[in-house]
Amino acid sequence: MTGKKIKEKVKLILLNIGFILLSFLTLIPILYAFSISISGSNSIISTEFHILPKTITMDSYITILTERPFGRWFVNSLLLSALTVLLTMLVAVPAAYVFSRMRFVGRKRTLYILLVLNAFPAILSMFAIYRIIKTLNLLNSYMGLVFIYAGSMAIFVFWNMKGYFDSIPEAIEDAARIDGVNDRQLITKIVMPLARPSIIISSVLVVIYVWNEYIFSTVFLSGAEKNTLAVALYSLQATDYTRNWPLFSAAAILTTLPVLILFFLVQKYMVSGLSSGGVKG
Amino acid sequence: MKRGKKKAWFYSMPFLIIVGLMIVVPLLYTVEISFTNMSIYHWKDYHCVGLDNYKKALLAFDSGFLPAFLRTLLWTVSSMALQLIFGFFIAVGLNAKGLKLRRVYKTLLIVPWAMPAYVSILLWRMGIFNTEFGLFNQILKQIGGKPVNFLSTNGMAFISCLVVNLWLGVPYMFTMMDGAMQSIDRNIYESAELDGAGFWKKHFYVTIPQILPILMPVIIMATFTAFKQFDIVYLMTMQTGSKTGADINTVITYVYEKAFITSNYGYSSAVAFIVFLIILVLYKTMNRREFSISEQ
Repeated sequence: MTGKKIKEKVKLILLNIGFILLSFLTLIPILYAFSISISGSNSIISTEFHILPKTITMDSYITILTERPFGRWFVNSLLLSALTVLLTMLVAVPAAYVFSRMRFVGRKRTLYILLVLNAFPAILSMFAIYRIIKTLNLLNSYMGLVFIYAGSMAIFVFWNMKGYFDSIPEAIEDAARIDGVNDRQLITKIVMPLARPSIIISSVLVVIYVWNEYIFSTVFLSGAEKNTLAVALYSLQATDYTRNWPLFSAAAILTTLPVLILFFLVQKYMVSGLSSGGVKG
Repeated sequence: MKRGKKKAWFYSMPFLIIVGLMIVVPLLYTVEISFTNMSIYHWKDYHCVGLDNYKKALLAFDSGFLPAFLRTLLWTVSSMALQLIFGFFIAVGLNAKGLKLRRVYKTLLIVPWAMPAYVSILLWRMGIFNTEFGLFNQILKQIGGKPVNFLSTNGMAFISCLVVNLWLGVPYMFTMMDGAMQSIDRNIYESAELDGAGFWKKHFYVTIPQILPILMPVIIMATFTAFKQFDIVYLMTMQTGSKTGADINTVITYVYEKAFITSNYGYSSAVAFIVFLIILVLYKTMNRREFSISEQ
């Protein structure tokens, strides 16, 4: 009996060591970037190599925050995310509710088409979009980008929200109706509060998508004053020629923090708010 | 809100208009462009060339589409295999009896999922794989090896991208597997242990059959994500101005390259439409159950 207990203890210790190693390995790219960002600009070029910086300095952070328009980039990203979330949720949530609750001619066919379109990566028609946006003179404007983002995210939000509405029993709404609740009260007092986890998760995923989006924004935006964080970071990359790796790391960490915080804030809704991947009919 | 067909269309109209304008119109326009010779030299004075672009993509092996397609299949299969294996063992480990720090490990291991993906990819490219100051080469230098240019040859670049993809994808996979394992009835394990099942037998005969049905939608989704991969290959090897020399195009990066780098718009659109049809066929065969539900 004691032999078995010792064996289990040893197993647990080994498992813990394994997990500590794995966690460390997983975090290395981030830890290394962080260590570079506080090491100042000259240590990279030296031939000596340290995992931990020899001297700690906030120079890179100060440079990025004062000498580069970081605040501007941040506000631009925020603005673009906010506009996209607003537009996406305003159009997709009512549609999802209607398609979940009502039965009407053309419903099935429309759902089928939306399911097919959900499989279509927007990047495949990027050139066609580019040509259309250029013809409409919307190149280098947020309007164009917000519509592009809202177009692809609306389908995702539609399916996610519809899946969630489907899982809320209609009986609750019927009961409220019998109690004399009118349509508007039904939506604001009953349906929306019930759908809260899914609305939160959908909005956060839209924000993260816009925050991360670099390919459309690098191709479609050209003025430096319009740069978002993603575009700025993209152009800050240290290539083999311009070694501003500490500056880049500092910017990368500052860009990441809001998303990390947001992610861990809503993590508890992750399982309940995502209706099995949002792909189901 | 129950009756009223007009009301239904009224409330979903803004959504349908946006989807129509931003997804359907560009898709149809892509199909139209695919039948023309539109390119940087023929921006305005393009004309119809029939099926030429499609013939070039599908019949000429050296046009690059077929190799990219085969590479994408290899990419999808290998990244799924890696994610499933790593995800499974992490989830099994997390569910071990008596693991007190379970929550701590879960939070630490989930971090790559929470990071903005493009930031992570750039950190990998510059911090880990860079020829001069990348971590791998720093370590190689310390132990007296020669620096390796990880991203300049096809084989190494492909493996490097797979590593990054695993790092990005495994947190989602193990979280879902962990969730599925939590729902397994503990009594099944006890009776399996009484029957003398060891570690491998227990998991092969109990865990996998129990979690597989729950995980099917997740696995299907992850497979499509892998197939549609763009960011990793693009950011690691083919950014404008800093191409690394490796050609590991997937079908999606191939479409991008033909449109925005070599400016062959007609051909790129033809390939885009072919890729869309491939995705559609795969999607319909893999999601047969979901499709039948929506048609009720």
